[in-house]
Amino acid sequence: MEKLREEVRAWVAANHPGDPGWKLPQSALEVAEDRQFDWLRDWQRKLYDAGWVGAEWPREYGGGGRERGTQRVIDQELARARAPFLLNLVALSWAGPVILRYGTEAQKRQFIRPLLRCDEIWCQGFSEPGAGSDLASLRTTAVRTGDAWQIDGHKVWTTLGRYADWCILLARTDPAGVKHAGISYFLAPMKVPGVEVQPLVKMTGEGGFNQVIWSGARIPADALLGREGQGWELATATLQFERGAAEGSAGGSGGGAEQVERVAALARASGRDADPVVRDRLAGFWIREAALRANAQRARIPGLVSDRPEALPLMQKLTASELTQDLSDFACELEGDAAGLWIGDRGAIENAEWQRTYMNSFAMTIAGGTSEILRNILGERALGLPKTR
Amino acid sequence: MNLHLRYEEEHALLRAEARRWLDERFPISRVRALAESESGEDPADWKELAALGWLGLVVPEKHGGAGLGAVHLAVLMEETGRRLLPSPLLPSTLAALALSLEGSEAQRARWLPAIASGEARVVFANGTSVWGAERADALIAPERAGLDVIEARAAGLRIEPEIVLDRTRRSARVTRGGGVPLGATAPSDRLVAWACVALAAEMAGGADALLAMTAAYAATREQFGKPIGSFQAVKHPLVNVLIGVESLRSLVYAAASALDAESPDAETLARMAKAQACDVYVFAASRAVQLHGGFGFTLDCDAHLYLKRAQTTRPAFGDAMQQRRWLSERLMGTTGPR
Repeated sequence: MEKLREEVRAWVAANHPGDPGWKLPQSALEVAEDRQFDWLRDWQRKLYDAGWVGAEWPREYGGGGRERGTQRVIDQELARARAPFLLNLVALSWAGPVILRYGTEAQKRQFIRPLLRCDEIWCQGFSEPGAGSDLASLRTTAVRTGDAWQIDGHKVWTTLGRYADWCILLARTDPAGVKHAGISYFLAPMKVPGVEVQPLVKMTGEGGFNQVIWSGARIPADALLGREGQGWELATATLQFERGAAEGSAGGSGGGAEQVERVAALARASGRDADPVVRDRLAGFWIREAALRANAQRARIPGLVSDRPEALPLMQKLTASELTQDLSDFACELEGDAAGLWIGDRGAIENAEWQRTYMNSFAMTIAGGTSEILRNILGERALGLPKTR
Repeated sequence: MNLHLRYEEEHALLRAEARRWLDERFPISRVRALAESESGEDPADWKELAALGWLGLVVPEKHGGAGLGAVHLAVLMEETGRRLLPSPLLPSTLAALALSLEGSEAQRARWLPAIASGEARVVFANGTSVWGAERADALIAPERAGLDVIEARAAGLRIEPEIVLDRTRRSARVTRGGGVPLGATAPSDRLVAWACVALAAEMAGGADALLAMTAAYAATREQFGKPIGSFQAVKHPLVNVLIGVESLRSLVYAAASALDAESPDAETLARMAKAQACDVYVFAASRAVQLHGGFGFTLDCDAHLYLKRAQTTRPAFGDAMQQRRWLSERLMGTTGPR
């Protein structure tokens, strides 16, 4: 692994794309302009061609077939080098792993390589205006007519929707069936008549976030993943990937460990580093960051999780997203009056990066199960408490 | 900072053995009976702890101990903390660590074999209030040049049992002639790191026991026709305890692994674990009392036993505020206010 680490490090040093000369988005959730999209797609393609994307996925479908642990080393090195993020987020981290686990041979052969190489972009069609935390109350329908499914409904929170070729789509196939049992899971084409993508604007003013109106869109019969009515099970598996509770991402989840050091530098720059209150809070954040990393390591040691194996995987997204939110809020407070300045103002600190991080952090405390829903799930699965409702 | 958690089969075996023995020997009814007793302990337990090899767990093999590392120590402390072990294993272990890390060759040769065999009661002392001092044969205190070993029969030494909050862990007021407290200097950084891991592990065990007890109660106690654990106002605070406890266990084993690997980050991680332990144990105890409702407030509910242990253990080797102060200096440099 150390040899691999050196190899990746040398490759990134030689191939880092540098600064594009315009503002890069912070994550795939904010990609809204064509030049951003093109630049990031080219970067992922280059990484794939070098063998750094899908390194552990099966060779026969386009992966690297390498041993377990390889991808983690690659991701860590990419994060260390502050390399740009991987564009095809939904595909690499949740659609792909779900197709590998539940897809037919034909589906794996069709979809895996193009999604790893960024030749085909994926989005997610789960949430609806009336079905957020209560996802199983979704009302989008799929009606079988001849050799096609006809889709009607309204989906929101569609990251990369504007650019997507495919969508992991939840729709109700049995309107009479019980709430969860009537749902099916589709690998639906986006570039067909009857699919309209409308941009939504986030509180930062950024786009990248869409709603999709499906009106009589016809998708092929073989777009079904798994069995008819198996959608809820597959959706649950997808959400586990999305929350980081299951291993198997094709890359891009290296994470930065040096956030607290950046805030410490900010405290110094703003002349508040001698304030014992500021120092106490900084130390508290440092502990939370270390705990997050220690949790990630302990989760991989069976003997140290046997008392409560469900807890650490389910905690991952919850604790990481809340730390980012609290820490970026603290950074904004340290900025003083500059916290009121926005991107482009010459007085803005780091071009208002912390303000942007703070506001964007709510995407992670809401998407893929809100922090409140995750606390319910943790209470029920890790502590054996009775269901809420 | 690099983390390399290490946990092998041998650690799992020690845990299984410790848990089995402690579960069998220390049901809460016996812990309560010992807490109410005059001395607070049973000499038969001490003999058993010696026979199991746990009094000498960290004592080097050449001095008659098992010579095991920090991960082993964390495992044993976590399991004893779960059961509120009413026996001075912890202050004895701190004394053994102090001697092993800082003692002179003569001090080690004289005292470590006796500690490991259970033949001599030796406890660590820093300040006036000393755990396990009442029945000790000797006390170990940090001094400018190494360690001071004070025999309990030494002239001018006064050992006076204190009236304590946590009756499962007894302490005594120890002073020398002229009212001088033991321990003229702060313990060494290495000893602090080991002590923080031992204490944080014990506190993790206690907090985890509180969590299990409270979750089980919330799953069965009914109000408004439902188990109270189905209400989010009960469920979410318990999950916050869970997150705290799980993070604490991770920090404890990260710190213990770092000590065993002699990593330069060991003291930082150990102090992080102790800071987390102080906050989490007290939080777990307060939620346990609160969520047990009216029953939680009574002497019959076990929650207060742990709450008292948490409050008593918090200041040892630095509470959360003191640990964070040290950590902030590590993070920011020593430019803070004096």
